[in-house]
Amino acid sequence: METTDLNLFVRTSEESILNWDRSKISDALIRETLIDRDTANELSKEVEQQIRKSGIQVITAPLIRELVNARLIEKGLESTRKMHTRLGMPLYDVDSLILHPNKENANVPHGPEATNLTLAEGIKKEYALLSVFSQEVGDAHMNGDIHLHDLGFIDRPYCSGQSLEYIKKFGLDLPHSLSMAKPAKHPEVLLAHLVKFAAALQSHFAGAIGWDAINIFFAPYIEGMSDADVRQLAQMLIFEFSQQAVARGGQAIFTDINIYWEIPKHFVDVPAIGPGGTYTGKTYGEYEKAAQRFAWSLFEVFKEGDGAGRPFFFPKPIVHITEKFFHTDGYMDFLNLICDVAADKGNTYYVFDRGETAKISECCRLSFKLDEQDLLDAKEPWKMRYCALQNVSLNLPRIAYMAKKDDTKLLNLITERFLLTVKAHKEKRAFMEKLLSLGENGPLALLTMNRDGSPYLRFNHASHLVGMVGLNEMIQIHTGEEMHESKKALKFGIRVIAHMNLLTEKIRRQEKMKIVLEQTPAESTSYRFARLDLRYFSPESGRVVKGDIASGEVYYTNSTHLNVKYAMNPIERVTTEGLFHPLIEAGSISHIWLGEAQPSKEAIADFVIKTFKYTTSDQIAFSPEFTTCNKCHRTSRGLADTCSFCGSADVDGITRITGYFTKVSSWNKGKLGELKDRYRNIDYFSTSEKRKVANE
Amino acid sequence: MGIVKIFYKDDCPMCPMAKQLRDTLQEKNVAVSDFNVGTTDGLAEATFYRVMALPTILIEDEAENSLQEWRGSVPHVDEVLHVVHGL
Repeated sequence: METTDLNLFVRTSEESILNWDRSKISDALIRETLIDRDTANELSKEVEQQIRKSGIQVITAPLIRELVNARLIEKGLESTRKMHTRLGMPLYDVDSLILHPNKENANVPHGPEATNLTLAEGIKKEYALLSVFSQEVGDAHMNGDIHLHDLGFIDRPYCSGQSLEYIKKFGLDLPHSLSMAKPAKHPEVLLAHLVKFAAALQSHFAGAIGWDAINIFFAPYIEGMSDADVRQLAQMLIFEFSQQAVARGGQAIFTDINIYWEIPKHFVDVPAIGPGGTYTGKTYGEYEKAAQRFAWSLFEVFKEGDGAGRPFFFPKPIVHITEKFFHTDGYMDFLNLICDVAADKGNTYYVFDRGETAKISECCRLSFKLDEQDLLDAKEPWKMRYCALQNVSLNLPRIAYMAKKDDTKLLNLITERFLLTVKAHKEKRAFMEKLLSLGENGPLALLTMNRDGSPYLRFNHASHLVGMVGLNEMIQIHTGEEMHESKKALKFGIRVIAHMNLLTEKIRRQEKMKIVLEQTPAESTSYRFARLDLRYFSPESGRVVKGDIASGEVYYTNSTHLNVKYAMNPIERVTTEGLFHPLIEAGSISHIWLGEAQPSKEAIADFVIKTFKYTTSDQIAFSPEFTTCNKCHRTSRGLADTCSFCGSADVDGITRITGYFTKVSSWNKGKLGELKDRYRNIDYFSTSEKRKVANE
Repeated sequence: MGIVKIFYKDDCPMCPMAKQLRDTLQEKNVAVSDFNVGTTDGLAEATFYRVMALPTILIEDEAENSLQEWRGSVPHVDEVLHVVHGL
């Protein structure tokens, strides 16, 4: 039959209706695959025949493609079919996405922009699994042996640590932008540059954007300002970042600001850049007081909260506690202030840089430890730009199911999976290299701009993260005890992470890639792994996963954490969990869930000092819970079903999900299960208060 | 009677002295466990005992209570024997 005989119309992906033309099939096959012309023609005839027999009048291009793919399968042309794949989504799924919120990431609100983001992510995820990663890596992700984080952002690095000095020195001069701005002369302009640059960076990274030593680098602009003006600037900074939910997918920019009370050693003698991008003639060491004023004002704003008295979700303030902190004038007053904020609103993150350690922290717990070269770069701080290219997590309980209580098998399986993550990193790295090689005309123009003699993204400094989920359940399956239940179980847990730590060192030497361990936040991964293991490893997994199987609110314990349900003195928890932290170079955290308790600032400060002095914990955060009323716009302590002020049931719960605060209504089922289980340290802090009063 | 735990690494400057101490103690029939932090078991044990400097020498009683420790330094053998024998 000739094509013209067929009275058929095709709805194409280019929004037009064309007459049937069989040669379009063979043309597409030849263009997209390695098939020969004769086979392509033969195939197109067969598909045409099939369509003719069906009697259909109007057909869509995607359906034709799938009919061709079905023929390719019948003929055993699997590699051709793969190359000919069409990426897309069923109508039902799109309908559901447009109508219902996405719960994979609680930082994505519901709205048309969020739908766009989720749809685009869906296509890019498929693309990544088919085209960027090998079948072995893709299959391991699909079946839940490993998790490739942020696949929907496959064409970007994972997250980053940034320096305000870059904008101070070079102004806002972004590739393809409609206008360029010279270095800021006024603090408000610098703030505007910072926020715009952060939004531009959000479009080029999958995750968090961290800003190093923000109060120190703002200091030259602050000198001479009145207290009221400094306070106003602090307020502007926090509101700008907390209300930026208008950018990518309606998402707030996941922003961390690193704050120091002292000027850390590596910045003391560094010449300061001031208004207009010129050197002020002073060093940052001489701006300590101005930096402290700004830090103080920032925390005063955090203490007040937003217009409804709620905690700001972003930016997240990360305070570095160093040896020098305790030798800097006014440290106790500042510690009390930030602890007051922690007790009242929960914002403060305490990062402990003991000894000579220096870090830039960002994301939920990711931090970049500065090596010798980095400390040399600190003399020109605009060079301090770091990123992690990708994060891949291991499903540790899965390994334990498979090892059947055999130690050697368990460690060997960890090694195998670890090597698979390395393979995944190499594949992503090769893809990123391809994109970056297109320079300022490519998709990542911003990351290739060269203003200081090297591309903005310093590719050779990039880290590659290996995370872990469910160490506690792995140990439970393997030894019969959870890590809090015996010293033997805890020691075995440490042995597993020690094994992974040594693997990173070995691979780093062999592959010349910066592979580092990280505690995966696993906001949705711990839920995903638990669900997949319930499917593939029942009934054993049913006895191990945490949460409630009947309601589907299941999860594995995050990273190397202890069981969140176990009632444990918080200092003991921080001490025990902190044992793992020196093995996890890219950062760790312990959470202290407060529930409705509001400890005194002194009790929190005492806890922080003890943690610094007597534990190896890398980072801690205190998490209170709130109920905010959508009717009367007031906020009360604790999670409740109704507003304690007006009685309305139109309320939202707010608390920390993994590494940030958000509304509980946006959480996935796994995290909701964890929230119900969390042991709140209400008694510890109230009895420590009573003890203190009794002693007084 | 105390039990001695010695933590070392292959390439640390003071670690040969720690190994020598181990040999001397073993000759005197003192119970010594040594851990190379370059191995999984050694690193795990060092992490559990929060060893942040090498070499580290710890002495514990039979219930694993700490009796004495030297972190980042090597004591004289007599100091160790003094603690081990509870003198």
